[in-house]
Amino acid sequence: MHKNNNPILLKNIRVIDTSQNLDQEMNITVNNGIISYFENSEKNLPLNENDFRSINCKDKILSHGIFDLRVYLNETNNENVSILKNAAINSGVLKMGILPFQKPLLDNPIMIEHLIEKTNFNNDKFFYPYGGATKELKGNEIAELGLMAEVGAIGFTDAPNCIQDSLVMRRIMSYAKMLEKPILQNPEDKSLAGLAASNSTTIQGEMNEGEVSTRLGLVGIPSCAEVIIVERDLRLAELTGVHYHVSNVSTKETVEVIKRAKLNGIKITCDTSPPYFSLNELELSTYDTSFKLSPPLRNEEDRIAIQNAIFDDTIDIITSDHKPMSNDAKILPFTSASTGASGIETLLPLTLNLLNKSDVSIMNILKKITLNPSKLLKVEIPKIKSNEKANFIIFDPNEQYLINKDSLQTSPTPFHGRPVQGKNYMSMMNGKVVFDNIDLL
Amino acid sequence: MNKFHKINKTPPPIATLNSKNLLSIEGMNKLEINSLLDRADYFADLDPLKIIKTLNGYVILNVFFENSTRTRVSFELAGRRLGAEVINISVDKSSIKKGESLLDTANTLSAMKPNLLIVRHPESGAPKLFSDYLNCSIVNAGDGRHEHPTQALLDALTIRRRLGRIEGLKIAICGDILNSRVARSNIHLLTTLGVEVRCIAPPTLMPKSLENLGVNCFNSLKDGINNVNAIMLLRLQNERMSGTESPSKREYYRFYGLDEEKLRMAHHDAVIMHPGPMNRGVEIASSLADNEDRSLIKTQVEIGVAIRMATIEAVYNAQK
Repeated sequence: MHKNNNPILLKNIRVIDTSQNLDQEMNITVNNGIISYFENSEKNLPLNENDFRSINCKDKILSHGIFDLRVYLNETNNENVSILKNAAINSGVLKMGILPFQKPLLDNPIMIEHLIEKTNFNNDKFFYPYGGATKELKGNEIAELGLMAEVGAIGFTDAPNCIQDSLVMRRIMSYAKMLEKPILQNPEDKSLAGLAASNSTTIQGEMNEGEVSTRLGLVGIPSCAEVIIVERDLRLAELTGVHYHVSNVSTKETVEVIKRAKLNGIKITCDTSPPYFSLNELELSTYDTSFKLSPPLRNEEDRIAIQNAIFDDTIDIITSDHKPMSNDAKILPFTSASTGASGIETLLPLTLNLLNKSDVSIMNILKKITLNPSKLLKVEIPKIKSNEKANFIIFDPNEQYLINKDSLQTSPTPFHGRPVQGKNYMSMMNGKVVFDNIDLL
Repeated sequence: MNKFHKINKTPPPIATLNSKNLLSIEGMNKLEINSLLDRADYFADLDPLKIIKTLNGYVILNVFFENSTRTRVSFELAGRRLGAEVINISVDKSSIKKGESLLDTANTLSAMKPNLLIVRHPESGAPKLFSDYLNCSIVNAGDGRHEHPTQALLDALTIRRRLGRIEGLKIAICGDILNSRVARSNIHLLTTLGVEVRCIAPPTLMPKSLENLGVNCFNSLKDGINNVNAIMLLRLQNERMSGTESPSKREYYRFYGLDEEKLRMAHHDAVIMHPGPMNRGVEIASSLADNEDRSLIKTQVEIGVAIRMATIEAVYNAQK
């Protein structure tokens, strides 16, 4: 993929290294995949520009590649490992956590080993699998957490399922504590999130409960179904001392509970994904199934609370929650349509959109997609300095455009036609140029 | 009913709709609704043998993904009275089990070039999906818990013919509102026409934020029907319930079943309606159901055909 073998000179580029809290305009050269020169742009360049492929990067940002915390590797008709990897690299995502929900499930050490071998070409570690917390992700029996940790599982989760049983959850937590791995929970009380389960009949909830669900005649999921599980889990996390991580926070109440738990010193982190700070339940008014997500889109008050929780650091991480679906699974009546949407390609611009909503620093926002996921999963974050292999992305934070579903490689997107800002132009992994559009800058 | 002087009046024009589809009452305005009611009122008094068959060659497919007798027959009769060809298709679950998607089924039907699809489906929003992908007109004959527009129209006309007006009335809708598409359509229609609507249900069958639709909500039947002019009862939707909404039929009848005694709270000549099929001794006392002074249940069925004629004709007109 090397477009040009000359060493690269990046002039006046704004380097944001979240691991060092560094935000500076610099001149950088990359020679044979190694950062060879790395100095403040105010210093005179001791180099001959003609020896380089020289690019003026004024107002462009160089940062660590995005670590997308939670991605479903659904091998649908139109998506597979290489499409996903390609889409990710082009969009600035250079690491991703792979959820165990796929066929076959990642709930045993053999599958974890297989996934790592199958996906990590040439020692470029790109995919980081989670192990299922319970066998078949059914929430009944604890899976082989120890063996999975040994072969490389970075944490445990039953996502998209929520671990319902309190005793099972307690045991998983105490085991994970011993293994020093986090537990990720997708909190949703199953019996509340539908029309009550009696005997064998469960009517699945389809959207947030409220005026909109009443008008549309869809089965509502009350927002308290989320916080009820989080409150229970917090008690168990306190009891066991595990690192507890809440996935996809979507309600105001959950934010409040997590904020309090953090003040009380409980080991808790959480994430959300762009739909929950960008959209609300009104999007569903036309039964558009690309907005059918889990948890469901909530009301405007919740959306604002999620956005504010990102700004005040109650929410630590922003992830794509990428869950691609084939068209066939989505062009169906709302009830029958599958839940989920793609997200990996829109993660960077939608996250950068937050900069328009508050005076939050870009450093702080970038931490939520780079440093914080690395910390949670204890994955080393590469160094950006001279004599190190080039591991970074370069993006234009100001470029404005509309998201177009036809130009995305993954589907479906709930953001078609929406204005965003920020576009990735270059991705370098382990010294290799894996995506290069930088001449278009 | 004053049949005689109406016959000599010039017939009202074909109803005007702003869309070639009738998917929901929500979004329709007063003019559209009244034009349908006026036209149907005219059809209701007309001798079926004297109706001019204006829809010769017009092909209607009755596509029912859910069992129905009265609505299907009512649409069929309405279409035939106007001269259209009506073909009934019950898409049973087996063809869906064979793996064909709803849209493939729709496209297959569409290839036969019908002018109008009348769709009933157990999932909310299914007729909307049809209308997004097909060129012909779509009339919603009931979708999940969402809407059943022609039922609300026929209910309104039944009331108007009996009580002489709609605006300014107080009307109670009582029963399983959570699961009822009839309730939603009626709420939108009656509030649009200026009715004070009261919804009565046990808390477990009352949908969230219903008052935002412009109605008053009551858990007590007696409070709710105080001085109302009409009571619309809803069927307990056993097939859509999960079993924990109501402790027993006996208890439901005790608090929400309409009998002579509870009816005394309503206006002295209040009428009773039910979209059918009714559960006697659950939603309504058997004797009340058969009391022709009070119960309009049979009239509702009669008016249904007239409403569907007006609807089919209006949709046909809107296509032109």
